Amino acid sequence: MASVLLLSGSPAEQSRTTAVLGVVAERLRAATHSAHVLRIRDVPAADLLAARTSTPAVAATVDAVRAADALVVGTPIYKAAYSGLLKAFLDVLPEKALAGKAVLPIATGGTLAHLLAVDYALRPVLTALRAPHVLPGFFVLDRTVHIGQTGRAELDQDTARGLDASVDAFVTALPVRPSLARAS
Amino acid sequence: MSTDTPRGADLGPRRRILVVSAGLREPSSTRLLADRLSSAAVTSLSAQGIAADVEVVELREYAHDLADHLLTGFPNARLRPALDALGTADAVIAVTPIFNASYSGLFKTYFDLVEPDTLADRPVLLGATGGTGRHSLALEHALRPMFSYLHAVVVPTAVYAATEDWGVSGNGTGLVSRIDRAATELAALVATREPAAPADPFAGTASFEDLLRR
Ligand SMILES: Cc1cc2nc3c(=O)[nH]c(=O)nc-3n(C[C@H](O)[C@H](O)[C@H](O)COP(=O)(O)O)c2cc1C
Ligand SMILES: Cc1cc2nc3c(=O)[nH]c(=O)nc-3n(C[C@H](O)[C@H](O)[C@H](O)COP(=O)(O)O)c2cc1C
Repeated sequence: MASVLLLSGSPAEQSRTTAVLGVVAERLRAATHSAHVLRIRDVPAADLLAARTSTPAVAATVDAVRAADALVVGTPIYKAAYSGLLKAFLDVLPEKALAGKAVLPIATGGTLAHLLAVDYALRPVLTALRAPHVLPGFFVLDRTVHIGQTGRAELDQDTARGLDASVDAFVTALPVRPSLARAS
Repeated sequence: MSTDTPRGADLGPRRRILVVSAGLREPSSTRLLADRLSSAAVTSLSAQGIAADVEVVELREYAHDLADHLLTGFPNARLRPALDALGTADAVIAVTPIFNASYSGLFKTYFDLVEPDTLADRPVLLGATGGTGRHSLALEHALRPMFSYLHAVVVPTAVYAATEDWGVSGNGTGLVSRIDRAATELAALVATREPAAPADPFAGTASFEDLLRR
């Protein structure tokens, strides 16, 4: 089993991106992996924007990335690209922070016209952080996500099906060996 | 159209150039490039008889305010003018450090918080600084698409300065000529446009007659 960190780059309290990551986390746990969703909005944003890497909250989040075997990177589409908040977080990571980790990018957006933002905008950043294996990104149209009372997402059928296929491909890319890093 | 009235720098309305700089270090090479670009633009405009003033938004100083805006959904009183300034400038010079092959999170966050039409039809010059010249295409791959989405009119020459371009005197010849070319392109766009309207039409110095003639 692998340890997966799911990062949400939405600044919103009620976030479709975070809700979709919640569904992905359930699927991963069902496949016996450990999954932890981290909302970047819970890290002091001013520290991220100013790239203050030494504050305890930022350092703890950077450690969580280091300890994970693989990442799911979720972002709302803003201005035809990933959110500035997500980028501010990726910018405080050390060089080559994603080396050795499989990464699944997931975006939620209001228009299919921006489906390619995952590949054109986010992928080069993940590659610059040396992610060796960035899976094909998955784009979720915002109106196909319904957030219930509990904060859990209900997905329209097509979205659910596409997401399942995407998670399946990700799971096959996860390391099979037990991770020693996780033991601590 | 022809005119034989000589236009001195003291004739006609002054134009406003807004510089947005996203450097994090002090001193900041991003700010250094931004200042070179804005002074070249002022020189270029003045050669055409147009006087211009430069205003700088140093984004590093607004990190807290931008963070508040992200979480509350509203700009505070300190941030508001820094966002509004985009909508009333005659031209914008936007410069970011390159982090991980793209604009910085600070730079993107500021533009995320801009109302969709703010930059529509506005002349914009793009610049970036990086540790290595190998990432200069980030200007074309990351910055330009966002400004296209915002319907800005981006000048063809974008300016990238890598650490090695500054050299001992900061006068790498390639860099100097690119700065001049980009500034000339920006000035040409500004010169063909009506001065940007002030945010509040009654806040300017226009007389009542001026307003009637609009
Ligand atoms: C400031 C802002 C800019 C946006 N820009 C885009 C855009 O360029 N393209 C798009 O498809 N959707 C855009 N949207 C819609 C969001 O991407 C979409 O609603 C997303 O699901 C929101 O995710 P969240 O609920 O996790 O915050 C924008 C939304 C906001 C608030
Ligand atoms: C987190 C981080 C990531 C960086 N990534 C890149 C990069 O991908 N390509 C590059 O050329 N320079 C990169 N650099 C170097 C900066 O772009 C360069 O130092 C910049 O000029 C700093 O601007 P400033 O002095 O205005 O703060 C990076 C710097 C940091 C701190």
